[in-house]
Amino acid sequence: METGNRLTRLLAIFTVLTFILSFSGMTLAVDDGARAYWKGRDGTNVVSFQYLYLDMQASGTQQFDPSMYIYPDSDTEANIFMASWARHITLFNRPSSFALNFTGGSVDVDVNTSLIPPEYLPPGATPGSTFSQSASGYADPTIQLDVNLFGTPPLKSNVDLFNYEPTWTFDAAAMLAVPVGQYDEDKLVNMGLNRWYGRLALPIKYHFGIFNPGQMSSFELTPSVWLFAENDEFLGQNLKNDPMWQIEAHLTNDFTPSFYGSLDLLYRSGFQSEINGVDVGDELDVGNLGFTLNYQTTGNLNIRTTFSSNVFGDSDLDNSILRLQFVYAWNTASENLKRLEKGH
Amino acid sequence: MDSSWKRLSIRPALETILALILSIGTIQAHAADPQQTGQKSKRPNILLIVADDLGYSDLGSYGGEITTPVLDQLAQQGTRYTNFYVSPTCSVTRSMLLSGTDNHVAGLGGMGELLAPNQMGKPGYEGVLNKRVASVAELLQDNGYHTYMAGKWHLGLEPDQIPHARGFERDFSTLVGGGSHFDDGWNVEWQIPKMPYTEDGHPVEKLPKDFYSTKTYTDKTIQFIEEGRQDGKPFFAYMAYTAPHGPLHLPDDWLRRYKNRYDEGWDGIREQRLARMRELGVVDKGVNAADRLYFLPRSTSLAPAARVMQGRKMELYAAMVEYMDDQIGRVFDYLKEIGEYDNTVVIFISDNGAEGNDLRGMVAGQVGTLGFLHAMNNFAENGHNALGRKGTYAEYGPAWAQVSSVPFRLYKGWVAEGGIRSPLIVSGPGVQGTGELNKKAVLHVMDIAPTILELAGIEHPSTYKGREIAPMQGKSWVGMLEGNTQSPRTSDDWLGWELFNNRAIRQGDWKISWLYEPFGTEDWQLFNLAEDPGEQYDLSEKFPEKKKALLALWDEYVKTNGVILGERSPFEKARKTLPDPVPGFDNYPPFRGLEALPYEKLIELMGGSTEEK
Repeated sequence: METGNRLTRLLAIFTVLTFILSFSGMTLAVDDGARAYWKGRDGTNVVSFQYLYLDMQASGTQQFDPSMYIYPDSDTEANIFMASWARHITLFNRPSSFALNFTGGSVDVDVNTSLIPPEYLPPGATPGSTFSQSASGYADPTIQLDVNLFGTPPLKSNVDLFNYEPTWTFDAAAMLAVPVGQYDEDKLVNMGLNRWYGRLALPIKYHFGIFNPGQMSSFELTPSVWLFAENDEFLGQNLKNDPMWQIEAHLTNDFTPSFYGSLDLLYRSGFQSEINGVDVGDELDVGNLGFTLNYQTTGNLNIRTTFSSNVFGDSDLDNSILRLQFVYAWNTASENLKRLEKGH
Repeated sequence: MDSSWKRLSIRPALETILALILSIGTIQAHAADPQQTGQKSKRPNILLIVADDLGYSDLGSYGGEITTPVLDQLAQQGTRYTNFYVSPTCSVTRSMLLSGTDNHVAGLGGMGELLAPNQMGKPGYEGVLNKRVASVAELLQDNGYHTYMAGKWHLGLEPDQIPHARGFERDFSTLVGGGSHFDDGWNVEWQIPKMPYTEDGHPVEKLPKDFYSTKTYTDKTIQFIEEGRQDGKPFFAYMAYTAPHGPLHLPDDWLRRYKNRYDEGWDGIREQRLARMRELGVVDKGVNAADRLYFLPRSTSLAPAARVMQGRKMELYAAMVEYMDDQIGRVFDYLKEIGEYDNTVVIFISDNGAEGNDLRGMVAGQVGTLGFLHAMNNFAENGHNALGRKGTYAEYGPAWAQVSSVPFRLYKGWVAEGGIRSPLIVSGPGVQGTGELNKKAVLHVMDIAPTILELAGIEHPSTYKGREIAPMQGKSWVGMLEGNTQSPRTSDDWLGWELFNNRAIRQGDWKISWLYEPFGTEDWQLFNLAEDPGEQYDLSEKFPEKKKALLALWDEYVKTNGVILGERSPFEKARKTLPDPVPGFDNYPPFRGLEALPYEKLIELMGGSTEEK
């Protein structure tokens, strides 16, 4: 009986655990972005710094639980910083890229406890007040490899770039997160997930513009699946999750040679949680729409901003994401060319 | 009931009227029927095809690597000629083509756009096909021919100067020299920002969305012939293609037809062409081509990416030539379908040498000018993958132009052989020598009008519509085409040229020319074209008497045609706009690496990728 009560409570508690998990691991909160799988010349390095602001409100039946109690109303804010380094390489004679991502920041959760039965309030929380929990530090770093399977020849030289006029391209990508990020097993909100996880993706692109700066357009679709190991230190429980299915899509278009925009879509489902062998909560069903604007300030530096908000899927989880990103890319050959042109 | 009655009663009357009209037409046609002059009973159709800025050696039948199966087949059916001359530029050639007389007589003593101040208003320098001549179309139209034109006119913009006013009963024409090949229709000249088009004498307000010059001109030619053929009259169709004149534009599915074909660079392609020309007999074995122009780099000294960039332009050019060939094939197929091909004399020429000048630069070279503004608004896109599409302006430049001109020197605008020697193919009824290569005949574009008139059994009149007209200076080829002679000219006959103050005289194998520096010395030079078609060796000092004799012919040419040398010339500053003729990219210092190592290995040793071609 006691066991039964415990399970019932857990079921209630973790109704929407899936969503908070989906951004507790901060890498999860970030989509790949528009033109993420466009190829550069072999040897090109790309360094990116980005700041994300996430805002989320859970309401109605879609509840947010930062602890072990039911919290139907909650507000969450996250400030995330991400540094990435990617390098375009040729692997198996295919254009590929290798990337490392390091994420950190903070998350703050505020929950209105007025609708919560007193017995479910966490220690120290007062009925009718606001309960808060925070986390800060590093999230789990990730490593990603992307290999083109079809549609892009090896881009080893400027000659190859000159001859490159893609239409359909198909890639395969694999990402692995290393569970070394901040984690406190007594808290629901953490920066890391305390378990291995990763993603398999099949990025697909169709270039329907002229592949020339100022005239390029693309439709990009990246179906992927996230896979999670178990976390046996989740509030003293064992947490398992089903795979999370994700579709990311972008419709990009050059406005000028140095300015492009994109309509963005991100949809996630699955991710059914299981605590101690029992399903809890609902599957994820969140769809965001947004846009990206990217301006190339110099030959090396791009400034990018994106905004997205959930507009379909479960309507009880309002979220919006604002991103500001600086992307700096260089290739030794190009830099040498610049040096020669400048006469030194 | 009432209408049926009318139809029944009117129909016999209409039939009678129609029969009368037809019989009158027949009488009119018979009035000029060659039967009366003892020639063939059925007058041939004439299909005159003019390419725009096509180089001498571009066609497969002349040694080019460009795929031109239709024109190659035409050459197999007819005869190719290796000594056919045109003017250095297009409108000038066209004035002689249609009038049969010298450009200084026909109104194009200079191009209308580039007349010198002292030439303006002078007879022969009207800048349009003047009324001192009757066009061959006018004479054919008056003598029972249907006369059609599609393509480039460039001989006048005013209502009394356009094709419809100069003898073409049907036309779809652009009146100016060059511009977009698509429906955006921008003109190269900023003074007339949009290319004016006429159809049957009326301005074309808006080009169809799917307009592409070469295809549309072909469509129109076929349409005109189809709509006019019921009365049985022969036709004269003038297909004045604007290909491959810059900007190099192509339909999307033709853009990459020659992808990477020219990455090896101009020197290799040029050598291969020359070898094929020797195999075909177009060039005599043992005769050298002109040297690579002194200011052009050896293509094997270029980095791989630079070669790809340069090669892309030649890819576009080649595809334009093949596309034109393909469209000419459509016309031939149509003529075969209606049973007229075997009664059609086809003449194919280019209007001048390949274009090696920087026309875009001439239009838009100066920031802050209207020309620059025009370019900025209409053809500013120059991205590598955008070239060839709407809104771009690609030209292939002097390096590739000298490939198109091989074995000759220079290109359009200049009276060196590369500017004035054109391919010529003639085929059709009465043309002897199937597949023959005629290297004896020295021919000129002025000859085409008298040839057409003789084929049609028409005498050139001394007056036309009440005004005296100049006699034709060209010589009919009919005797040659029928195999009676090898050339319409004797070794004493001579030809003369003058444009932009550059000038030349050819008599037999000898030629004198005066060219602006740096391509010339701004003095007369003497060449023997039989031994030196590339005009590399000035023989002035060795054969002073020959030079003197030719200079006398120049004086005669000036006097006969009313030549007025200009106070100004578009080439007067060529010396300043082109590098000095000193060794630089030339063969000094010796390029030893090339001989020692394969190109790929050389690149690799330099630290580049062997993947780079």
